Amino acid sequence: MITLDRLNRKEAIRYLGGAGISLNYRMDVLMDECEKEILKTAEPRFLYVERKEPFDDILLGNDIKKHLEGCHTAVMMCATIGSGIDKLIRISQISDMARAVVLDSFASVAVEQVCQKVDEILAEKYSGKYMTFRFSPGYGDYPIEMQKEYLRILDAPRKIGLTTGDSCLLVPSKSVTAVLGISDNPIERRKRGCAICSMKGKCRFRRNGEHCGV
Amino acid sequence: MGNIVVFKNFSNFSEYLNQKNFILLDGATGTLIQKSGVKYDHVPEVLNITHPELIESFHKRYIEAGSDIVYANTFGANAYKLQDSGYSVEEIIGAGVAIARKAVEGTDTLVALDIGPIGQLLEPAGSMKFDEAYEYYKQQILAGKDADVIVFETMTDLYELKAAVLAAKENCDKPIITTMTFERNGRTFTGVSPACAAVTLTGLGVDALGVNCSLGPDELEPVVSEMSKYTNLPLVIKANAGLPDPNSNEYNIMPDEFAECVCSLLKYGVKVIGGCCGTNPDYIAKIKSEVADKEYQPQTKSVDTTVCSSTTVVELNGPRIIGERINPTGKKLFKQALVENNIDYILTQALSQVQGGAEILDVNVGHPEIDEKKMMVRVLKAIQSVCDVPLQIDSTKPEVIEAGLRYYNGKPILNSVNGEEQSLSTVLPLVKKYGASVVGLALDENGIPKTAEGRFEIAKRIVERAEAVGIDRKDVYIDCLTLTVSAEQAACRQTLEALHRVKTELGCKTCLGVSNISFGLPNRELVNRTFLTMAMEQGLDLPIINPNVESMTGAVRAFRVLNGIDKNSLEFINAYNDAVPAAPVKKADSNVDIFAAVYNGLKNEGAAATAKLLETTDAMQVVNEMLIPALDRVGDDFEKNKIFLPQLIQSANTAQECFDVIKKHLTKTSGTPVSKGKIIVATVKGDIHDIGKNIVKVLLDNYGYTVVDLGRDVDPQLIVDTAVEQNITMIGLSALMTTTLKSMEDTIKLVRECKELQNPDGSSKCKIFVGGAVLTKDYAMKIGADYYCRDAKESVDTAKLVLG
Repeated sequence: MITLDRLNRKEAIRYLGGAGISLNYRMDVLMDECEKEILKTAEPRFLYVERKEPFDDILLGNDIKKHLEGCHTAVMMCATIGSGIDKLIRISQISDMARAVVLDSFASVAVEQVCQKVDEILAEKYSGKYMTFRFSPGYGDYPIEMQKEYLRILDAPRKIGLTTGDSCLLVPSKSVTAVLGISDNPIERRKRGCAICSMKGKCRFRRNGEHCGV
Repeated sequence: MGNIVVFKNFSNFSEYLNQKNFILLDGATGTLIQKSGVKYDHVPEVLNITHPELIESFHKRYIEAGSDIVYANTFGANAYKLQDSGYSVEEIIGAGVAIARKAVEGTDTLVALDIGPIGQLLEPAGSMKFDEAYEYYKQQILAGKDADVIVFETMTDLYELKAAVLAAKENCDKPIITTMTFERNGRTFTGVSPACAAVTLTGLGVDALGVNCSLGPDELEPVVSEMSKYTNLPLVIKANAGLPDPNSNEYNIMPDEFAECVCSLLKYGVKVIGGCCGTNPDYIAKIKSEVADKEYQPQTKSVDTTVCSSTTVVELNGPRIIGERINPTGKKLFKQALVENNIDYILTQALSQVQGGAEILDVNVGHPEIDEKKMMVRVLKAIQSVCDVPLQIDSTKPEVIEAGLRYYNGKPILNSVNGEEQSLSTVLPLVKKYGASVVGLALDENGIPKTAEGRFEIAKRIVERAEAVGIDRKDVYIDCLTLTVSAEQAACRQTLEALHRVKTELGCKTCLGVSNISFGLPNRELVNRTFLTMAMEQGLDLPIINPNVESMTGAVRAFRVLNGIDKNSLEFINAYNDAVPAAPVKKADSNVDIFAAVYNGLKNEGAAATAKLLETTDAMQVVNEMLIPALDRVGDDFEKNKIFLPQLIQSANTAQECFDVIKKHLTKTSGTPVSKGKIIVATVKGDIHDIGKNIVKVLLDNYGYTVVDLGRDVDPQLIVDTAVEQNITMIGLSALMTTTLKSMEDTIKLVRECKELQNPDGSSKCKIFVGGAVLTKDYAMKIGADYYCRDAKESVDTAKLVLG
């Protein structure tokens, strides 16, 4: 079980395009309130399954093959912070849009923090081995349609209430599916970087000369 | 026992239930499949084709262990999950049921068609429509025609389960068993409570209901006891064998303990028992021997009158407030919102009433210029996506009533039936079918009887007719009708007397629209509140009032305290303890000018400054020389990263307040509304992530454009139709996912092809701007858009360019 006790506010501000600006008092209060509300509403859940080689069924496209090169085990994972968050954001969109965007941003931060905790759990489990970063359907040439396959293999709809549909959006929306490779030999610690990103050429961070940090 | 004809005669399932002390289901199939080591592609149900003997052997083991009903291996055999399996629903289910039939040959054991969730979430959380879910289930039910019983299990969404139950009821006459899956917090993944499940499913007429999977029997007591409180139907438990060990995947509750735990729950009316994940035939055999000397404990308690949404039950154990504000009668803005499809306006009304203290909301969207049926469904779904309170569907048209009852999630109130034959014979069967409560108006073809006696007689007739179609009288709420006291002074006493008699002699709950009493009098609030208090003292259960009038809501709360209904005054204290004393609304600082107010996002100050300025300055001058430049400065700073998105929105909202003041001023002086033009915005079909579109909407709104927001997951045809009907030539589309860009392209194509939206030379009249995370300018141009907007601010720039 994963619990969150605080959220990275700097990240939330950065997602909102506010890196480097100084917040006025009202914004400060709004950020505080929204962080608390997300922490109260979030219900973090996650799953993972280990697949020993061969795992050809999930190797569609070149980027994933490269990512899992030299790995004897693939750990497929998914995580969500639950459907209450979607409802919370939906409600605030009617009553206060500024609050809604801040909640949305903190919710994104929250699910990423859950994923980081899953990373830690796996790192401990495989201590002494080497682990790649999380690679998700939709990165590079890895089809977003794989989302469905991940959820099926993880039995995610039944176990943590995480589903998708024909458009491959995850529902609840603040959720992640990904795979990590485990190897006995050191893995070149590449960063995810822009080259394989599905947002390549479209992302607002790059537009402003920044980087999303992954 | 032994009389197979009776057991397998489905119309007599209740007899079957009555005859048997306990009914044993089977245990897990998945666990046995795993243990056997057999491999399968995609879904375990394909084993029905590839390894029928293996599946049959599982059934046989359960039959030997004592199962009265075995579940065919059909849990996930729906068209969505089977789409890549190479088999059809009919093949897999046909084979699955046939295998089970073969296994039970020569025994008394029945075969259940086992049906699980489709695997996609329904709206509002997901994008699957209620009707689509219905079609998936209908296909499975027809394919499983050779089964004896239909089981829906592992359900987490009450709305999906409602679609499933209706699909079963409307396409076969087999008995229905439903079980839902609850988490340790006592709710399903979608927030459904055991109480809401029990109330809604009992209303829909299932034969048994309960819980399966997720938890062990040792953890189910809270769930089972809560369900039991709200239904007298036999309860079902099909629990997991505790929790799986993360490494060995072995479950931790053994058959002895499992059976013992289950027996400790028999007192709640548990009759149907089996096992879920981790269980095997040993568990079933153990339960069988353990219950052999026990008696089923049928529940005969009187169940409180309740209504519910999927998350919240309201018990009518004292006066409960129904909010009256979602109703166009006499409300100009509300009518306009209906005509313009402005659902957000209606949702704002809903949220503010709940905040004011409404426990149920009346929903009336009757207006001659709109399609009431479509609007009712749309509004019900929208309100249920943001409010937890149960709703009262308010219409007199049978087609609107039926649609409302069908697409509502939970157990609603229907407002209303009356004593006219036509009304009784069309409305009551619908109320029964959908398991709702109903308001009965004490009037008939001869109008409203003058006397209490006359109204009481009609009420009695309504109750009798309701009971004749199987509606419990506790689900009939009689409205003895409030007449205007300034016109008919004597009528008030008649209403109260009728109410008292209905309450005491018929034992029904009562309901009353209160505000009408004071029409035509000064100080209406005082009259209303006094009448409300008098009526509650006569036994009024459901006052329909404006919950945002503090004294009215307060009168109900105080009444509950004074009558000992609100135990220890908890609700009262909660409502008033932290209340800031009736706010001397923060006096806006009148020295702040419009520019500073907008720039800093200070709503009250902005409105005050605007009002002050309008005393000396022309309205359009205020707009063009103050408001717009302030917004432009905000926009510039946003582009230069001096401020960020929430600030941009707050500034825009402040500008909106200023615009509102100006609008009011203009309608007073000249009647000219300030709108810089109409724009349609929509998130394309298949896409449900709409926060980006909503931000665009807020900004366009605040820059003075009239925005027609068609919502998310919008059918291309609706966009074209709206553009034609309302003569709109600017359309904004958003798509979040690469997978939904295709819908964006389709929508643009449909707009371009529409003759009514073309100039005489065949060129398109419409300017289309598009945006969304995965979109690029090149792609936008490629799919035929006129403008690409990378953020909300650029949408405003584009609107200025096109509409001025």
